[in-house]
Amino acid sequence: MNGPQFAMTAFVVTWLTASLRLAGPVLLAALGETFAEQSGVLNIGIEGTILLGALTSFLVSFYTGMIWPSLLAALLVGIAANMILAWMYVTVRASQVVAGLVFNVLALGVASAVYRKALGNSAVPESIAMFQPLHIPFLGNLPVIGPVLFGQTILFYLTIALAFVAHFVLFRTNFGLALRASGENPAAADSAGISVYRMRYAGTLISGAAAGMAGGYLVLAQVGLFRESIVSGQGFIALGIVIFGRWNPLKATVAAMVFGACDALQLSLQIFGTHVPPQLLLALPYIVTILAISGLFGGKAVQPAALMAPYIKD
Amino acid sequence: MKHTLEMRNIVKRFPGVLANNNVNLTIQAGEIHALLGENGAGKSTLMQILYGFHSMDSGEILIDGETVRLGSPKDAIALGIGMVHQEFMLVRRFSVVENTVLGLREGNGPLLDLRRASEKLKDLSNRHGLALDPAAEVGLLPIGVQQRVEILKLLYRDARLLILDEPTAVLTPREKDQLFGVLRKLREDGRSVVLVTHKLAEIMEIADRVTVMRDGQVVATREIGSTNGQELTRLMVGREVNLRADKSAQKPGAAILQVEELRVRDETGHEKVRGLNLEVHAGEILGIAGVDGNGQSELAEAVMHLREIKSGRVILKGADVTRLSVALHRTLGISYVPADRRHVGSVTEMSVADNAILGLQRKYRRGIFRGIREARESARGLVARFGIRTGGIDFAAGKLSGGNLQKLILGREIMRGSAALVVEHPTRGLDVGAVEAVWGELLRARQEGKAILLISAELEELLNLADRIAVMFEGRIMGVVDAAGASVEEIGLMMAGITAPGAAAAGLGNKEAHRGETL
Ligand SMILES: Nc1ncnc2c1ncn2[C@@H]1O[C@H](COP(=O)(O)OP(=O)(O)OP(=O)(O)O)[C@@H](O)[C@H]1O
Ligand SMILES: [Mg+2]
Repeated sequence: MNGPQFAMTAFVVTWLTASLRLAGPVLLAALGETFAEQSGVLNIGIEGTILLGALTSFLVSFYTGMIWPSLLAALLVGIAANMILAWMYVTVRASQVVAGLVFNVLALGVASAVYRKALGNSAVPESIAMFQPLHIPFLGNLPVIGPVLFGQTILFYLTIALAFVAHFVLFRTNFGLALRASGENPAAADSAGISVYRMRYAGTLISGAAAGMAGGYLVLAQVGLFRESIVSGQGFIALGIVIFGRWNPLKATVAAMVFGACDALQLSLQIFGTHVPPQLLLALPYIVTILAISGLFGGKAVQPAALMAPYIKD
Repeated sequence: MKHTLEMRNIVKRFPGVLANNNVNLTIQAGEIHALLGENGAGKSTLMQILYGFHSMDSGEILIDGETVRLGSPKDAIALGIGMVHQEFMLVRRFSVVENTVLGLREGNGPLLDLRRASEKLKDLSNRHGLALDPAAEVGLLPIGVQQRVEILKLLYRDARLLILDEPTAVLTPREKDQLFGVLRKLREDGRSVVLVTHKLAEIMEIADRVTVMRDGQVVATREIGSTNGQELTRLMVGREVNLRADKSAQKPGAAILQVEELRVRDETGHEKVRGLNLEVHAGEILGIAGVDGNGQSELAEAVMHLREIKSGRVILKGADVTRLSVALHRTLGISYVPADRRHVGSVTEMSVADNAILGLQRKYRRGIFRGIREARESARGLVARFGIRTGGIDFAAGKLSGGNLQKLILGREIMRGSAALVVEHPTRGLDVGAVEAVWGELLRARQEGKAILLISAELEELLNLADRIAVMFEGRIMGVVDAAGASVEEIGLMMAGITAPGAAAAGLGNKEAHRGETL
């Protein structure tokens, strides 16, 4: 193999590996968000929830050194925090956008305060205990696809599995049908004997669990530390993925890979050095998100018809 | 529930409206019980309480003398009560079978078993003669078929008491006969049916007993054998209503609205209007008869350019308006009363007053401000002139009863003073008193020299109002007849796609002659 070709292969491998790695947490959050939106709730609060999940998993891992319990703790905190959000969205019928945004600001405040309080004077380690990339024998040694597909952490494979589970639950179970009906036509769902409130609580809490876990994913498989800026808009990127994925978990998986690729591209390009200004590269994933959310690519036509419409009886 | 159901002293108050005021109603096993009453009398509210959809303020519901709790539709379904709402409760983007099993837990535990459900559904639909494709997307089905879905939904759930809130308003005569056939069979099974309707003939035809409501109260319950249409009307409206329009003879003027070789497709790409020509003159009502789904709605929407036109021309007062925007259509003098009042005709979250001036904002403008006082004045006038029952002009339009919302929209469009008026099913769901009022208004508009295109599934209405009746079948005009000398049989044949001799369909219908069925 000659020089330039080798560099090219190295670039592609680094880039693709990073793509999948970066796609993991946002995909997880997007899968949960799909349930919330299919039930009729636009849960913008996942951004803050990811942050709370990240903090929780960091602290638990810091104090116990155990990674699975840290992940579970993040998931539980996600559910608990979204209990409040669900109450705002469904019971109080507050504006979903406003409630979600305020929650995100609040979560940031709480997370920094708790972090400082908890770690006040203790020395912060280089890194806490983390999930390591797997080394799958044989498959992992294949050229290019070996490291890309078979050298990820267990969380990545878990997330992909969850995408299939999510798809199955949404489209092949009574619960999924009831959930989607609540987001399409809540009055019709109600009339069919479905509790729309319960469905929307369920959707919101599922998105909370997934977002909490996504926060854990970030800390436990990617960063190894907690920073206030650790999430930096990944919740919003997840919202974009849901739209690009047309409210379908499997399509969202593909969308997440594309986002991951954009994100990784800017990283790899920075490492390998280009003439493109780094600020522009950094902005790339967000630009794609804004385009997705803008509805320029359709989307409006397929979004749950009663998305963001509170359901009022009587 | 092979037993008696009793509603006792039901009271339901909405902000500003006492919808049910101490209502008592008993429904026996194996009876078809009609519920009659003016628009806004509280029929739907009462039935929605029975279905657990609305809570009641006070009162009791008993089955066989035992009080039951109906906190939600779920409770009602468990008790064998099913309801087809006045405004259908279907998830448009779901398939027929998905809508049917929605909310049910059966078979495979948590898993959906659509294949088995489809089998069962096909079985049911064959048994009751209600043809249906379980895999079809509901939102794309014509409204009559959507209703079939609603009814099969109840049968699938094995409901013992079926509440049908104005089911026939959207049906063709044949579909109605079919529905009544199903209802009779259900009665033989010992099931009970509550039928809310404004059509006295239907009540006399099928009901065993009838309860009349007025202003939220029950005025009377009668055995069908011991009453008649006149008495029921008097009980309901408080006066005699003579549903016969007095149409003055008058010479139509110049052609105001012309349609030439119009071709239009529906959402699925099927051609629904296939080279259609017509002409409406000043001071004339041109009626369009036809079985629902033969392109009438598409025609109306295309005339207003609410729908894309494939080819052909629409000419208003001599000017080609085919490609102009909806707003321009309106400014140039054409008004439209759509069939779908809730989604197209009104903004249900806005108040009655705002809806009353919708599209007329310019008229009520003072500089950049809205001339609120004038607008409210005219809204009040509209409410008074059309007898709209509302909790006030600040009442949300979506909370009006179906009939009253219709009056509001029709009133607004008539009062715009346009030269041409396209009206779809103007009296669908209206009580006889209101029908009389609407007919009067349409004739008044005719007398003022407006050109009116009246699409209606009610032959009665067309024969009374129209000067000429054009019959539509599969996107074409089968023939045009003078309303004065028209026979119901002749029109009926053309509605089925058969050109009767003598109809002015010259050269149009022969191809189709063998295709349709007789009514
Ligand atoms: N959700 C609601 N909020 C407030 N008022 C309501 C609501 N639903 C109905 N009403 C009012 O209650 C009264 C009774 O309405 P209802 O729909 O029961 O009449 P209806 O007899 O079914 O009339 P129609 O023949 O026009 O369908 C009306 O005055 C209506 O405006
Ligand atoms: Mg009603």
